Amino acid sequence: MSDASVAAKPLERGSGMPKMTDGVSWTASLFVAPAVILLGIFLLYPTISTIILSFENGLDNYIRLFTRDPNFFDVRSFPPTGAFWNNVLWVIFYTGGCVFFGLLIAVMAARVRYEAFIKAIVFLPQAIAATALGVIWRFVYFQQPKTGLLNAGLGVFNIDPIAWLGSATWVNTSLIVAGIWGSVGFATVILSAALKGISTEILEAARVDGARESQIFWRILVPMLSLPISVVAVTLIINVVKLFDLIFVMTKGGPGSSSRTIAFTMYQEALASRNFDYGAAVAVVMLVVLLPVMIYNVRRFRAEKVVQ
Amino acid sequence: MTRFRMVAPIAVLALMLTACPASTTSNSPGASGGAGSSGASGATIEVTSLWGGAEAEAFQAVLDAFTADTGINVTYTSQRDEYSTVLSNRIEQGDPPDVAIIPGIGFLRSFAKDDLLIPLADLGLDTSALADAYAPNLSDMGVSVGTVNDVPLAIMVKLNSKSTIWYDPSRFSENGWETPSDWDGLVALTDQIKSDGATPWALGASDSWTLTDWFESIYLRQAGEEAYDTLFSADGDWTDQSVKDAIATMTEILNDDNVAGGIDGALATAFVDGIGLVFSTDPTAEMYYEGGFVGGIATGDVNDALVSGETIDFFDFPEIDGSGSKITVGGDVMAAFTNEPGVAEFMQYLASADAGKAWVAGGTIISPMAGVESGDYPEAVQKEATQIVESDLARFDGSDLLPGGPDLGTVLQTAIQDPGAVDGALSDFQTQVDDAWAELNG
Repeated sequence: MSDASVAAKPLERGSGMPKMTDGVSWTASLFVAPAVILLGIFLLYPTISTIILSFENGLDNYIRLFTRDPNFFDVRSFPPTGAFWNNVLWVIFYTGGCVFFGLLIAVMAARVRYEAFIKAIVFLPQAIAATALGVIWRFVYFQQPKTGLLNAGLGVFNIDPIAWLGSATWVNTSLIVAGIWGSVGFATVILSAALKGISTEILEAARVDGARESQIFWRILVPMLSLPISVVAVTLIINVVKLFDLIFVMTKGGPGSSSRTIAFTMYQEALASRNFDYGAAVAVVMLVVLLPVMIYNVRRFRAEKVVQ
Repeated sequence: MTRFRMVAPIAVLALMLTACPASTTSNSPGASGGAGSSGASGATIEVTSLWGGAEAEAFQAVLDAFTADTGINVTYTSQRDEYSTVLSNRIEQGDPPDVAIIPGIGFLRSFAKDDLLIPLADLGLDTSALADAYAPNLSDMGVSVGTVNDVPLAIMVKLNSKSTIWYDPSRFSENGWETPSDWDGLVALTDQIKSDGATPWALGASDSWTLTDWFESIYLRQAGEEAYDTLFSADGDWTDQSVKDAIATMTEILNDDNVAGGIDGALATAFVDGIGLVFSTDPTAEMYYEGGFVGGIATGDVNDALVSGETIDFFDFPEIDGSGSKITVGGDVMAAFTNEPGVAEFMQYLASADAGKAWVAGGTIISPMAGVESGDYPEAVQKEATQIVESDLARFDGSDLLPGGPDLGTVLQTAIQDPGAVDGALSDFQTQVDDAWAELNG
C-alpha cells in the first residue's frame, strides 16, 4: 500500500510524465488488490464480526468469563486455575522446553559426526499430524502397563502405574511433554542452522584465550543466537496460544476442566454448545493475548530491515 | 518471467470472479424437496443422525418400510463424530437436513431459541394424538421431552435403559457372587468381590457422561421424581443438600478402593475402554454400569466371543431406601428443520408401532411406542425392553435436559477425584447453569 502511494506522489506535481506514473500506480494496485481482497474477506471481516458478536450482551460475556467461569479463569486459590492459566503454563514450559532442548540438541549434535542422523530423528515428529501425535501419546500414557509404554517403563523400577491423563496433578505436565516432543525438532533445525552461521574464528579465538566450553556457550553462542532464539520462541508462543488439537484428542479438557486451554474453551462454547457470542468473547481474549506478541514480531522484522 | 508476473494477479482475480457464481447457486436451502403437489409421493427428504454400522442398518429397515408404504424417498446421512458441531454448521450455512434425530434435548433448545425448528403443529401433526401413541409409562415423556417453552418441537423416537449394571454371569456363579436388589446389597457385593481379591468396578469416566448417568440413577431413586424434575429444570438448585447426598452415595462405590486403576485411572479411561476392562478376553474388573447399549457394543466391538445371558448380562440398577422400580432412560428426539413435502408424513410414521417394530428388529434400540411387544425384539434386547415397559416410573436422562455449555460431567469428575471440592464445584456450577438458562430464555 505504501509503495503505491509513494509511486503516486509525482502525479500531484502535475508536469512530468503523468501517463507513465498513472500506469505504474494502476499496476501496483492490481498487484496488491488480490491480497487485500482476500485478507479483507478471510481475515478482516471475520475478525470484526467476531468482535461485534462478542459484545452482543454488552460487556456481560467478558465479565462472565473473568468472574463467573472458573473453568476459564479462577484466581480464588493459588496457583490460579482454568483454561487461561493452563495456557500460561503452556507458554512458559512448552516454549521454554522447546527452546532449551532445541538449543541443547543443536549444540551437542554439531560436535559429532552423525549430526544429520540425530537431527533427522529429532525432526521426525514434525512430519506427524498433531492428531496422530495425540493418539500416539495417549497410548504412551495409558495406565495399564500392557499398553502404556511409560508405565511399563516405570514398572521395571517397581513404581506403580500412574494415570497420567486422568490425574489433575499430572495431566498438564503430560500434555506439555507430548507437545515439546512434537515441536522440539522445529527449534533444533532453526537453531542448528543459525549455529552454523557463527564463524568458527570467534570460537577458536575464545578457546585460545582460555575460555571454558560453558563460557563459550553462555557468553558467545547464546548471545549470538538471540535473534533466532526469539524467532523460534515467538513462533511457538503464537502456536501454543492457539493450541487445540492435542487437548481435543488426548483429554477433551479433562479430568474436570483441568487441561482446558483458551482455544479449546472457544470450541467448547461456540461450536459444541452453540453459544456463539460467548465463544466469540473467548476468541477475542485469545486475540488480545496474542497482539503484543505479534506487535513485537512485526517491530523486530522492521528493526532487522534497518540493520540490513 | 516478467510476463508471468503480470498475468498471475489477473489469473487470481479471474479465478475469484468465476468462483463467486458457483458458490451462490449451491447455496439455496431445501432444494431437495422436488415436486410440491398435494401428495408427497415421489418426494425425497433427508434425515440425519449419528448412527453407523448395525445401528444404521436397523434404521435403514425403518426407512425402507416407510418408502414402501408411502412412496416418499428418504436419504439417511450419518455423522458419527462431532454430530452437534456438524449439524450446527449445516444449519448456519443454510443447508439443514429436513429432519434430524438428536441425542440430547439441551442441544435442541439452542435451535429452538433461534427459531430454526418447525413446530409440530405447523407440520400439521396432532400432538395429543402423538402422546397417546407412546407406551403408558412413557406417554408423559414422548412429546413433553421435545417441548420448549410450551411449544412441542420434537418427539422421542427411540430410547435405551440407563438402569443396567453389566456383569459376567459365569464369573459371578463361579465365585458365588449374587446380584443385589437394593443399594446396600450392591455395596455389600462390592465389598465381597474386593475381599475375594478381585476389582469390583470398571468406570470409563474420561467420557464424563458416564458419571452423569451414575448421578441421575442415584438422584432419582434417593431424592425422588419431584426433586429430579425440579433439579433438571431452570429452577434447579445444585447447592441443595440432596445433590450433595447423591454424590456422597455415589462415592460409596466410586472410589479408589473399588474402581479399576483408581479414580485417576478411571478418569483416563474412555467409555468403551471401560467396557473392555470387564468384558475383554483379559478382564480386570467385574461390573460396569451404563445403558442398555453396552450389550451391543460389548458383543459387537469388544469381544465377539461373548454370549448374551451366559458371559454377559445385566441386573437392574438397585433401588435405594425402598424407592421401587424407577428407571432413567436416554433417548433421541426427532425434529424437523424444513417443511418439505414428506416431512410430516415421515414424522407421523416414526411415531407408530409399525415403525417401532421395523426398527427394534435390528436389536439396537428400544421403541417407546405402544404396540411394540416384547416378542418383536430379538432375544438379546428383550430383557431391556421388558425392564423399561414394566418399570413403575421412567425419567429422561437429566443432563440431556440441561442447556448446552455447563457440563455436569465435569463437576462430577472433580467430585469423585476430590470430594473436598464438591461444595465449591457445585456452587460454581449453579452460577454457570443460571447463566446458561438465562441466555436461553432471555
